[in-house]
Amino acid sequence: MFDFCFSLRYNIRMISEEKLKILTEGAKYDVSCSSSGSGRKNVGGMGNGYAAGCCHSFTPDGRCISLLKILLSNDCIYDCKYCPNRAKADVTRAEATPDEIASLTFDFYKRNYIEGLFLSSAVTKSPDYTMERLLLTVKKLRTEYRFHGYIHLKGIPRADMALSREAASYVDRMSYNVELPSEASLRLLAPQKSKESLLLPMQTLARDAQIFRAEKRKGLFLPAGQTTQMIVGASPETDGRILRLSQSLYRKTGLKRVYYSSYVPVVHDSLLPDLPVGQLREHRLYQADWLMRFYGFSAEEIAPTEENLPLEYDPKCAWALRNMHLFPIEINRAPLEVLLRTPGIGTKSAYKITEARKYCKLEFEHLKKMRVVLKRAKHFITCNGKFYGAKQQSAIKGFLAAEEQSNSAVQLSLFSDGNNAQKALTGQL
Amino acid sequence: MIYFFDGTKEGFLTALVVAFCDENAFLTSKQKQLTLGEDCMFISADAQKAKKAEARLLQADKQSMSDLTTLLRSSDPNNAQIAFRYLQLVAKEKKPVRNMLANGDVVAATECMQRVTWELHRLKGFVRFMESASGALYAPLSPDHDICDLLLPHFRARLPEFPFVLHDVSRKKAAVYDGKNSFLAPLDRADVLLSADERAWQSLWRKYYQSVNIPSRERLKQMRGYLPVRYWKFLPEKFP
Ligand code: SF4
Repeated sequence: MFDFCFSLRYNIRMISEEKLKILTEGAKYDVSCSSSGSGRKNVGGMGNGYAAGCCHSFTPDGRCISLLKILLSNDCIYDCKYCPNRAKADVTRAEATPDEIASLTFDFYKRNYIEGLFLSSAVTKSPDYTMERLLLTVKKLRTEYRFHGYIHLKGIPRADMALSREAASYVDRMSYNVELPSEASLRLLAPQKSKESLLLPMQTLARDAQIFRAEKRKGLFLPAGQTTQMIVGASPETDGRILRLSQSLYRKTGLKRVYYSSYVPVVHDSLLPDLPVGQLREHRLYQADWLMRFYGFSAEEIAPTEENLPLEYDPKCAWALRNMHLFPIEINRAPLEVLLRTPGIGTKSAYKITEARKYCKLEFEHLKKMRVVLKRAKHFITCNGKFYGAKQQSAIKGFLAAEEQSNSAVQLSLFSDGNNAQKALTGQL
Repeated sequence: MIYFFDGTKEGFLTALVVAFCDENAFLTSKQKQLTLGEDCMFISADAQKAKKAEARLLQADKQSMSDLTTLLRSSDPNNAQIAFRYLQLVAKEKKPVRNMLANGDVVAATECMQRVTWELHRLKGFVRFMESASGALYAPLSPDHDICDLLLPHFRARLPEFPFVLHDVSRKKAAVYDGKNSFLAPLDRADVLLSADERAWQSLWRKYYQSVNIPSRERLKQMRGYLPVRYWKFLPEKFP
């Protein structure tokens, strides 16, 4: 008898397949999927955060499923030119109830299909209404359903800040998408959004988080921080400009990640390009972004303001080729920072080298055995005084470009999923 | 000389002591490795010898025993030999050797352990529970390495209010959490009476999986690299 009641309760809340389909398809172009960075504990109820992040499945497009990525509603009052859900678009509309989303998350999580929820929404009825529904959903999950798994919530621009702040106290990560890399483009393509409406909430939440930590308050406040996303190639900004914007976002708002999403034309508009942006460009931006966050490079070192990143080789190779006077470096002596700036040597290899050289003088053969990838690195290093690369810069360029071509197919796909992409990258640069 | 032991930690440590000075020693617990015509010695576990060896190894490297348990869980046909060479080095050096990354034996051991821990990490994502009529959760799996009990703490921490069973169907054993305690038990086969909603949730999950995919960017080879086909048989999203 008890069992019967139990299942009945959930049946009422179970979302229909049709609605699930509409709300998922509206959310699937969002690139962020990472579930890492939160160590939220289980305090009775279900779920916890797994700081390392975890992929639960992979779709035929090679991307990882970690979070249940879904919209609360796809019925938008705004009219961003590039968006399939915009007010003027002719698509089937749907809105889920907070209980439908909460029970879906709960039951998917229980079966270990997902690591948590990534909830986003079109601006439906009004920014405040939308934010209220989002807040209600995450609040229900945490209090009624006693769910402690990962929640990433998209903030709605122009909604009452009090709502966003309350929501932030329930979730692990929040993101406001800057959407486009300049104000001018924003005005043109997303007229109802403005730079302030996107940056202000980010800054407010960053300050809240700081205060929360400084006062050592109990509980959690955005333990996995904030992220943002911008569309690349719908507007004319260069990679140099985009990277400078990311750099200032990292420095000023303490963002955890900037995601780049190459523009896919789903709608036709005279203001938008008809062709999709090559994924190679998106890939190069991620590599450059990685260099800024983990390898101590500045945007200025990586690309001049009005230039794009070269497509022939990765940004670290490009930087090294511009700075050949710094190479080759001696693998047995170079400090960690210098190793990290060497093409082909990632954080993992650099660590292996610094450890292994404590025990013996490293030769080329040792590096091979340690599985340090040498195809690129060999042009920039000496092993115990011996050099194994090409002598002329023009030859090096040729080798690097050829190497890159044979690699790029694999690398590209490595980048398309949130978690593994990052790991794969460390070895690749 | 081939040293054949019972696969246990104690058995291994005994064999380690016996074979320590034999330069041509080969340790194994896998029948298949016994080739005709080669000298073979059957080692039966000796608690005292094992204890002594353990103490000596722990003194040299505090992590040596956890490394050993990881290595013994590997399905690599040479796992015992890899562990032997690695621990022999620890004993000789009298200190941790895991950072001697230019040494072939260390590399072999590290990679062998990595394959075990990597599968453990993967399975934290790929395990699929189904809900039984009683509310308990059941997940069949068939991992490459002997790790189903290592998954217990992970799921216990996130599902403390749900009894669950992680069933290694090929090794015929199960890691069980009954709502209070967890333990390992032999389990041949399980008949599970599903809850009324189970099929509906599985079908919703399949719908989600199909909807979140971007067909114009199909990259099946990559998908199979990340999600090897041998894991598919327990994933509802991959059921036809
Ligand atoms: S506000 Fe969001 S959902 Fe609405 S049109 Fe703009 S991008 Fe699309």
